[in-house]
Amino acid sequence: MPPTRNDRIDEGLSKLIEYILPELEDEDEDEDLKANALELAQARAYADDPAHIANIIKNKLIRDNRTSDKALRFHNLYSRLLTLPLIKQKGAILHLLHELSEESERNISSRASERNTISRASGRQSTTAADSRAPSRAGTESTRRPSKTTTVQDEDEFDASVPPKPFLAPERGGGKTGEPTKAALLAGVNPPLDPSEVTLLKDMPFTLQGVSSKNLPFSLENTLKLPSNLPVPLISLLHTLAEPALLYRSLSAFVEESGAVEDKGGLVGQSLSAAIGNELKAYLSLVAGLEGEIRRATASLPEDDPHGLAVRKAGVTLRRCMIWTREATMGLRLMAAIVGESKGKRGGKLISIIHNFSTSHGDPFVFNFARRLLTSVTRPFYDLLRRWVYDGELIDPYLEFFVIEQSEEAIMEANAERRGHASSVWQDKYKLDTEMIPTIMTPEFANKVFLIGKSLNFIRYGCEDSEWVERYSKTTSKALSHDDYASLEQNIDEAYKTTMERLMHLMNKKFNLFEHLCALKKFLLLGQGDFIALLMESLSSNLDRPANTLYRHNLTAQLEHAIRGSNAQFESQEALRRLDARMLELSHGEIGWDVFTLEYKIDPPVDVVVTPYSSREYLKVFNFLWRIKRVEFALGSAWKKYMTGARGVLSSVADKVGTDWKVARCCIAEMIHFVAQLQYYILFQVIEPSWEKLTSTMNKPGVTLDDLIDAHKVYLNSITRKGLLGGGSTSKSRQPETSFLAQLHEILKSMLAYKDAMDGLYSCSVAEFTRRQATSALIDARTAAGKWGVTESDAPYDHAQQLKKHSLRNKKVDISDSDSDSDSDDGDLPGVRQRLRALTVEFQARTAVLLGDLANQSDTDMRFLGVMFSFNDFYVVKKGKGKTIVERRSAQRGDETPA
Amino acid sequence: MPREIITIQAGQCGNSIGSQFWQQLCLEHGISQDGNLEDFATEGGDRKDVFFYQSDDTRYIPRAILLDLEPRVIHGIQTGPYKNIYNPENFHVPKDGGGAGNIWALGFNAGENVYEEVMEMLDREADGSDSLEAFMLLHSIAGGTGSGLGSFLLEKLNDRFPKKLIQTYSVFPDMTNGGEVVVQPYNSLLALRRLTQNADSVVVLDNGALTRIAADRLHVQEPSLTQTNQLVSTVMCASTTTLRYPGYMHNDLVGIIASLIPTPRCHFLMTSYTPFTSDSVNQGKTVRKTTVLDVMRRLLQPKNRMVSAMPTKQSCYISILNIIQGEADPTDVHKSLLRIRERKLATFIPWGPASIQVALTKKSPYIPMSHRVSGLMLANHTSVATLFERVLKQYNILRKRGAFLEQYKKVAPFTDSLDEFDESKAVVQDLIAEYKAAEQKDYLSPEETGEGHA
Repeated sequence: MPPTRNDRIDEGLSKLIEYILPELEDEDEDEDLKANALELAQARAYADDPAHIANIIKNKLIRDNRTSDKALRFHNLYSRLLTLPLIKQKGAILHLLHELSEESERNISSRASERNTISRASGRQSTTAADSRAPSRAGTESTRRPSKTTTVQDEDEFDASVPPKPFLAPERGGGKTGEPTKAALLAGVNPPLDPSEVTLLKDMPFTLQGVSSKNLPFSLENTLKLPSNLPVPLISLLHTLAEPALLYRSLSAFVEESGAVEDKGGLVGQSLSAAIGNELKAYLSLVAGLEGEIRRATASLPEDDPHGLAVRKAGVTLRRCMIWTREATMGLRLMAAIVGESKGKRGGKLISIIHNFSTSHGDPFVFNFARRLLTSVTRPFYDLLRRWVYDGELIDPYLEFFVIEQSEEAIMEANAERRGHASSVWQDKYKLDTEMIPTIMTPEFANKVFLIGKSLNFIRYGCEDSEWVERYSKTTSKALSHDDYASLEQNIDEAYKTTMERLMHLMNKKFNLFEHLCALKKFLLLGQGDFIALLMESLSSNLDRPANTLYRHNLTAQLEHAIRGSNAQFESQEALRRLDARMLELSHGEIGWDVFTLEYKIDPPVDVVVTPYSSREYLKVFNFLWRIKRVEFALGSAWKKYMTGARGVLSSVADKVGTDWKVARCCIAEMIHFVAQLQYYILFQVIEPSWEKLTSTMNKPGVTLDDLIDAHKVYLNSITRKGLLGGGSTSKSRQPETSFLAQLHEILKSMLAYKDAMDGLYSCSVAEFTRRQATSALIDARTAAGKWGVTESDAPYDHAQQLKKHSLRNKKVDISDSDSDSDSDDGDLPGVRQRLRALTVEFQARTAVLLGDLANQSDTDMRFLGVMFSFNDFYVVKKGKGKTIVERRSAQRGDETPA
Repeated sequence: MPREIITIQAGQCGNSIGSQFWQQLCLEHGISQDGNLEDFATEGGDRKDVFFYQSDDTRYIPRAILLDLEPRVIHGIQTGPYKNIYNPENFHVPKDGGGAGNIWALGFNAGENVYEEVMEMLDREADGSDSLEAFMLLHSIAGGTGSGLGSFLLEKLNDRFPKKLIQTYSVFPDMTNGGEVVVQPYNSLLALRRLTQNADSVVVLDNGALTRIAADRLHVQEPSLTQTNQLVSTVMCASTTTLRYPGYMHNDLVGIIASLIPTPRCHFLMTSYTPFTSDSVNQGKTVRKTTVLDVMRRLLQPKNRMVSAMPTKQSCYISILNIIQGEADPTDVHKSLLRIRERKLATFIPWGPASIQVALTKKSPYIPMSHRVSGLMLANHTSVATLFERVLKQYNILRKRGAFLEQYKKVAPFTDSLDEFDESKAVVQDLIAEYKAAEQKDYLSPEETGEGHA
């Protein structure tokens, strides 16, 4: 809205003119002059370059003052004026002011007054500038800024009303109107100031440097004692001036403290204090300039000017000092704020604080100041960063970096806390402290940096490839700085890529990570079936014995044998060397099967991926799979025994125990089916797909070690969870002890028991067989002797006993298949039958529970296992209210599951 | 050393199949015609020592014994391209070489003459293996040698190696077209008794079905003997892949057949194989891309079965094992299983849990395969009994007429009486009854089964 603005400017100008020329002319002339002046301004507005007029004024100032101080100050004000968008006709305004000063010179012919006019005019300008800036600053310094502004405005009022009088007074004296000026009046009324303004002025440079003077002593640390008998305006002035002084004092105290780096918040803190020191030096040089000014001004003053009125003429007043130090005060204030906030903070956090000022602050002054500060403050940080990113070294004695090197104890503690979860050098040696990430970088960026350094460090120490790191650091190392963030980012990205590639290369080629994973799968996850079968076969007789009779050398010998006898012999020597057979800690009463385990030793640095925790998980999986395999093995050999037996011994006694065998065989078949399905599930639903995922992750381009570690963790997790080793059934209604693992163990146990019971049945059958053989042999013998084949004495009950004795005598009969209790009585048969029946019931009940649990699983793969168990819908799963009942189809007839 | 298997090839058919089988094995393992490893055969992972042993000069030698009563086929092998791989001591052809004349009894009796010699071979081979697991007999049951001598060997193996598994690949005669041997019903019935009583697992291959499949799959009206033999050898190779390429499961014969055969009687297995392509069979047609589901579905189709059984409504699978070779994704298998279950493509026994078990195995890296996956199904299906019924029926017809009995009456078991025929008939009838019973829900309830209580 140009008209309004113009109006406003017009009005402001009129007021200004009125102030300056209140009594020079009468009203009309005044009006004319104003009009003239404005017209002039208007007229010249376009013709005259503001710079030109500014030059004229500057020259004039230099001419009049004989120093460049004023001119500099003017220049300063002028440049600010130029940046003000509000005032358009800058040239015109300057011209007007120039004209006015000339005018007053002409009229009054007083150099002093003229100088004052100019200075006041410029004061006015600065006020406008300050006002226009005030709102933007209000936001951040709301508590301080308004008071400041009002102070300035108050000054102006004061300035506007008072100054004309003093400099008019000498000319008019008391004679013209007899009306004394306010100052004179005040001077008359008030006793001369003690200390006088001049004295104060003289003291001011000391005060501003934080040095006590007679009148303005710094009492305690941060207190400036003001003389008590000063008038309020002066006190307020002194208050304002005391601010930079006190700030300076505290800041210089802060800078001086820097002796001990430790207390300063490390190198960043030190460089902060150095940067502040530099700023303070600049401040001091300002004060020095001010001092010179004051000295020059006071030197020419009469000694006896109790009211200091002469000082005003000299042009250096406390108020001026205040104005001159204003900008510096702001700088000091900012620094003080930074120092205050940075207390106790270090490194990244410190940088974040300063960075906040440089980004979130709207005030360009604050912004630039903070930026300047930031550049010097971040220098040590970037040095750290460079060492970290290119050398993989963390030389951070003051813990300023966002990467923390963990102490040994901390690593141990972390391990203990997570129950050894993924404890490794890679995981725990360095930590990313998110709080310490300076806001100059994004968290992702910081993470990248973290990974680079960690990888380099790991390559150097974990993989013992420091040669490469050194070469790399020599060829690529670049100075990093805050100035060019984009190229910094690029450098980091590049470094990230190279480092990750190198690390993966080392892992795959030098440390054969993939081969180790394959070997783990082959041996601990039983992938090398022929090896496992052979090992189991050769160990089975050993493992059937109590655990405390096992000897390690036996185990390792059998392991050797199994390796040599199977395709495991084609594995690399490296892998085979790591394979070991050992016993878990024994506890009383255990048999070999319970304590035997295979182990695959993993050395650093591969243990970064296959952590000790994962190794334990592998062992767990192995033991589970081994147990299943053992049952499969037992069932298989039992099946073979009964199958080949059926061709001979068993077929001849089919009339007596045939049905038992049939039922038992079908039960065994059910168990074999169960075990086969379970193994199929674990292999093809659990291990293979997880392995697939792992290898695809490993072969992805740009994969990092962390990705790998995660992928491996996921791989193992899915195996343990889906492999039914996990925490157990998720259905809350069940007891925790009925986890799948426990259930399966019970089922497998009952299978083994069933197998033993069947061996009993086999013995019975063999006994029966030998009995019959004996009978027929007896009959043959009698017949040959010409007697009756069967006599009275072979009474049904006696019969058996006699036959038994007979069979014992005639050991010729081939009973090699029979076990130690082959001569067990016929009376065993009912017991064996009983046991078989009980075990069948137990097995079937447990299976039903397991199937019910599986049917309630949320995991589709695990539900699938349930489906596979009952592929032909043999088990009927009925879901009721919160209860799942599993029924066997044939059980509905209730024939083979009594009770 | 792993579970070795000794192969016995008896008769013309057995030896033809066998030589084809060994040829195929050599190709798969990268063994050259002189028994040495080919230079390219460097990839480990396969286990050659199940079927081969290494001689002192590291040549691979089949654990095979080749028996025949007439020299033609064996002579062919001895002059064929793979003549050098066999152990020359393991051939047996009688000097007179008259053959068995397609008479079971002659073959059976000839056994007595060769017994010592054959047992010596068997003992030698058994001694040469660390943990002998099984014998594998390849023969046909229609003729004289394979059937008669085979039966004899089955009985003797039983006595001699009571704890070793005995598996046979038995080629049944084509019974729909009368067959090339008039007395084949006699021979088959007599051999069937031994297969029932003295073998642990019989893989039934039906000449009729083989011809049909050859005709269907290969589009050949009169498939050559080589082609049908190739079908058989393909099946044999596929069924032994898990033994030769060890993996997590099914690494020994017990592991394979234990889950297939729940009760000792019902041990007759059917097979299906798909796809037959020119990779395995001469002039086989190329097949479009195969998926796991395709393969698994086709395996269940009766037309792919290598047995011409006549399934009834009650017929059902006692068990199934699918051996899938090639790049099969476990998730595809999983989906296929669910699909098959959903669509009820396979009927199972009602009296116990049963399912399609799957073994995923590697395929030989040395033989290019034009298709991604191939599959073999080993199934224990009750409809195999219909095959036996047909044997029995044809036997009854012949027996009623008392035809062709003279040849039999001349030699041992029949010189006194023909009881052997009747006993065999009873065994086969029992077997059929057992299969019938297995189709019933109440198979396990004692009072309704064929076997009585003591």
